[in-house]
Amino acid sequence: MNRRIYRVLGALALLSMAGVAQADNMLMSRIEMRAEIVLEYVKSSIEEHGYAIAHLQLCDGGMKDFGYPSDVYRVVFFGKVEEVRKISADYPELVTYLPLKLAVIAEKDETLLTVLNPEALAPYYADEALQIQLGRWHNDLQSILDDVRRATAKRIAARQ
Amino acid sequence: MHVIRVLFVAGLLLTLLLADAAAAPDGEALYVEHCAACHRLGGQGGIGLPLEAGKLANVSDDYLRKTVRVGRPGRVMPGFQRLSDAQVDAVVAFLRTQTATVERTFAEAPVPGDAARGEAVYVEHCQRCHGADGSGEGEGTGVTMSRERSFLVMPASISNRGFLASASDQMIRRSIVVGRKGSGMPAFGSGKLTDREIDDVVAYVRAFEIQAVEPEPLDADQRPTHVYESPYDFETTVENVKLALTGANFRIFPDRLLEQGLIDEFSVNTRQIGVRFCNFNVLYGMLKIEPRLGIVLPCRITIMEQPDGQVILVVPNLRVISRWFNNDELVGLWDRMEESFIEIIEEVTL
Repeated sequence: MNRRIYRVLGALALLSMAGVAQADNMLMSRIEMRAEIVLEYVKSSIEEHGYAIAHLQLCDGGMKDFGYPSDVYRVVFFGKVEEVRKISADYPELVTYLPLKLAVIAEKDETLLTVLNPEALAPYYADEALQIQLGRWHNDLQSILDDVRRATAKRIAARQ
Repeated sequence: MHVIRVLFVAGLLLTLLLADAAAAPDGEALYVEHCAACHRLGGQGGIGLPLEAGKLANVSDDYLRKTVRVGRPGRVMPGFQRLSDAQVDAVVAFLRTQTATVERTFAEAPVPGDAARGEAVYVEHCQRCHGADGSGEGEGTGVTMSRERSFLVMPASISNRGFLASASDQMIRRSIVVGRKGSGMPAFGSGKLTDREIDDVVAYVRAFEIQAVEPEPLDADQRPTHVYESPYDFETTVENVKLALTGANFRIFPDRLLEQGLIDEFSVNTRQIGVRFCNFNVLYGMLKIEPRLGIVLPCRITIMEQPDGQVILVVPNLRVISRWFNNDELVGLWDRMEESFIEIIEEVTL
């Protein structure tokens, strides 16, 4: 009896979340603000979500050094060491996707934020614990993008 | 007591569900969430084509709804299958409000043109921008922003399965007659082309539908990464990888340990290293085609010593990754690049 009730509750919970869940392969957000400033919001939001920033890849600088001019193009690498350790031990093939990466791409005075949705990896693995981890990363990444959008919107509104 | 608690939770969830179903979808919020990243908040276009009044005044709501649903296979725009009909309607209504346009309706009747005759007209007037196969000339999609491209607004792929499934003959006809303001597409009406020539071009464009080939699906056994065992020790494997990459004309960045930056330098695992590499010339060309590539950059081969001493190499599977971008140009390039990756690994593990 109890098991049946919990199954019904589980189904209801899943249904109530269906509107939120999106299994797009990448998560994106556009901010009406220059990339150099948005980058600072991104770094703050990542840290507020409990991740450490491993490093910042200056793709535009690299391209410029080799004679290929580019607008601001940065990639922020971030993660939690305990998660990286667990994944590299249990699913070594997934280290390619760690640390997590978020691209900050200038489009003139606007900024495009893009990140691979970890749930794009979900169809390749049946393991429930990994599915939970991928879902958690997805939620965190979406939350980081949402927070940046909210924080910058306040600043944009104050500017106008 | 337990049953009451369970019923209370069930009631709460049901209330949430019903409230969600009853609330009218917010088209603006949906647009910001799903469309603005590519089309920009004001619809000026970015990675995606512009959604401005000049275009929207000449398309039907049915075309917009179908476009949202089926997207443009292989041209970045995904099909939003998960949105409800009400949500799609709300996005379309928001686009109408934002552009101050009203729907233009079209007759269902096909245009009675002759595709064979239309070919000559297409070659003379359309091919320069839309390409011989209708896929749109030039690299990339959308509007030139931070990357140099041959066109300010990339000509639309009019042979795309999603476009042809969404656009009626009469709508295509009108696009040819009135052009697309702001996109570089001229108007061919008012005597520039005769009615018969326009009908013939429509028939020629419609014929792309027959030629449209679905890309071959990946083999079911393809995984997001390749894992290879190295016959060598950790240091030798790392050295071999660098030598092979240099030989393949890649520039190698300083080594980075997998955990580097995530923990203090004394606690970091030094037997997990990422050899990162890039060919800037190739990268620059690829970014024109797919500006979002940064999320999988730089290229990296990870070398790890397992607890049993076995050294493994973890290499991204470019065939799988490229398909996540819904960008056929990228898929073609990366399928070829994948072969060179495999050659490098074979050299390393020989």
